[in-house]
Amino acid sequence: MKNPNETPPEQGEQKVARRDLLKVGGALLGAAGLAQFFSLNSLAVRNKSEEHESDGPKWGMLIDINKCIGCNYCTYACQAVNNLADDMLYNVVTTETTQSGEEYFLSRPCMQCEEAPCVHVCPVGATYYREDGIVAMDYDLCIGCRYCQVACPYGARVFNWKDPIEKSDKAPKFGLQEVENRPRGVVEKCHFCSHRIDYGVERGLVPGVDEPATPACVVACPTGARVFGDLTDPASPISTAQVEASGTLRLREDLSTEPRVYYVSPVAESEAPFIQNVGR
Amino acid sequence: MLSDIHLPTIHIGKRSINVFPYWIGLLIVGILFGLVGAFTVLRDGLQVTGLSNAIPWGLWISVDLSAIAMGGSAFVFGVIVYILRIKRFEVIGKLAVLLGFLGYSTAGMVLLFDLGQPLRFWHPVVFWQPHSLLWEVTMCVVLYLSVLMAEVLPIVLEHSVFNTHPWLTRFPILSSLIKFMHKLAHWLHSASPILAVAGLTLSLLHQASLGATYSVLAGRGIWFNQSAPVQFVFSAMSGGIALLFLSSVFVFRVMRPGQVSDEALRDLARIAGGITLLLTYLRVWDWAVTNYYSFNRTIALQTEVLDTISPYTLTFWLGQALLPIIAGSILLGAKKVNFRVLMAVSFFPIIAAILTRWNYNFAGLVASISYDPFTPNVILNSYTPTWVEFSVATLVISYWLLMFSLAARYLPFQSMKEHH
Repeated sequence: MKNPNETPPEQGEQKVARRDLLKVGGALLGAAGLAQFFSLNSLAVRNKSEEHESDGPKWGMLIDINKCIGCNYCTYACQAVNNLADDMLYNVVTTETTQSGEEYFLSRPCMQCEEAPCVHVCPVGATYYREDGIVAMDYDLCIGCRYCQVACPYGARVFNWKDPIEKSDKAPKFGLQEVENRPRGVVEKCHFCSHRIDYGVERGLVPGVDEPATPACVVACPTGARVFGDLTDPASPISTAQVEASGTLRLREDLSTEPRVYYVSPVAESEAPFIQNVGR
Repeated sequence: MLSDIHLPTIHIGKRSINVFPYWIGLLIVGILFGLVGAFTVLRDGLQVTGLSNAIPWGLWISVDLSAIAMGGSAFVFGVIVYILRIKRFEVIGKLAVLLGFLGYSTAGMVLLFDLGQPLRFWHPVVFWQPHSLLWEVTMCVVLYLSVLMAEVLPIVLEHSVFNTHPWLTRFPILSSLIKFMHKLAHWLHSASPILAVAGLTLSLLHQASLGATYSVLAGRGIWFNQSAPVQFVFSAMSGGIALLFLSSVFVFRVMRPGQVSDEALRDLARIAGGITLLLTYLRVWDWAVTNYYSFNRTIALQTEVLDTISPYTLTFWLGQALLPIIAGSILLGAKKVNFRVLMAVSFFPIIAAILTRWNYNFAGLVASISYDPFTPNVILNSYTPTWVEFSVATLVISYWLLMFSLAARYLPFQSMKEHH
């Protein structure tokens, strides 16, 4: 076959090639600039919390590490109420150590962050802020991409790998199932028992004070290590407990996720040394 | 035209064997094996994978990222051919478009299996969440795949089957359908500069966003890296164009000698080399900024932990720094190097692009940071892909290779109309 591109004069070819390479080079530079511009823009965009700011209550939780005995009742109650298998825990209790080497129990529900990484990243808006600050899930929207799991610094999200179990072995001892089962293939999370809060608020009960309106883990705690209530109300149980506590901390405050779960520190220092050690 | 194609043969003694049918047979076996895994995961859900709540993204996401990177030449050559109008790359540009289409369709396919709710794959298109990088990536991939389809269609329609097959006269409905397709293809072809601009915008947007998908996650230490978006764009360009060079030499020099001039192929190698050097320059600076000029305890710990289970640091210095520098330099000086050497070294930028993505995807998950407030640490999570994951990966890779092989064999890259 004869090639039409072949054998043009040597000199002309050279010139054309140089001009072409310059063109490509220019285009490359433009591309680099464009890429930088777009990426910076996408990094800068965050859902501002003003969008979901409202005057109503903002629910929060205070966990007194000094009172926690590691009995796991909070986890069991959560399993019973939400019908969770043993490998699908919304709430986990782990044994950690302080800097002086003392062991303590760290129980961790969802932090219900004010600037939740999971809400920022969800591609379909399946996870969202409720008016009362709770980070909730719409299980009908979730596509199961698990970006929220990857984004959550607390490991608070669990993916429904299997079909829902029939009945948790923690029921009925620690409570009965109160929410619908979620289908296989969606991500789930702790929702501060929002169904109880909604139920209570409708009937004039006060979440954090009246048990039917308070999250199951708080009610189940035998030592009263968990306190629940409205963070915006100075008279609520959580606000008074915060005042009484010598100092409170939140997990991974260096990430500016602004969690609504506070901990009463087991050691005298109220500032977590974590902030100095980790993060840029 | 078809008679001009030289198929690769193996010589055993005096016999020469045409490997093409065996190769296609092997790929079909791969696809059949993959379909078993695909069926299993669609029936039983993701519990059949080795993924866990600690490592929710695994082999499939890495394959997805790599496939998209391998399509990185499409937008570059869309611009070179349709906007800068550099004539001698026109035929190569068609191959680039094809590689882009294959890369993106492979990625889309593997993502479908990776979703917990595969039937809701269309949700991002309808339920917008523009703040999410993954939403942006999804939208760009969907739109760009449409652009690539529009660019591929005219190339496919030039095949003689769609012009001279006897069925066309026997079944009038077929011929009117083909006529309509030709009209559409002609219209799409005249819109190609617009498609090229759209393609450029969409791919730059989402190649960058793929990097940002990881780099916005402050809680993952090693991932939280401002330069990731730029790294992803340039490594897709470097790896993608190196792959384009490799396949161009194969398709146009080995199989259809004379269709593209050696000069054009050497220029292609020089573009690949230049971008590879540029990428490596950025990559090494990025390393220096992260590890040398600043000290971040978390990242140091994570790197240390990763090094205990894998040659993580070595893959950077060898696979993403040293070899790409050598390969890039050789490719840049392509004028004086023979094609065997050029083909051999063009594997390195491809490997580097894939390594970058695999390391990226696993680093932040395998070595994750604990949230306890007083003695934070780096936890090592383990993940072993199951046969289902390997099976589906085989499916999509076989699909890629099969489509490429068939295209290399049957697609008329040289336009017949322009010949006359």
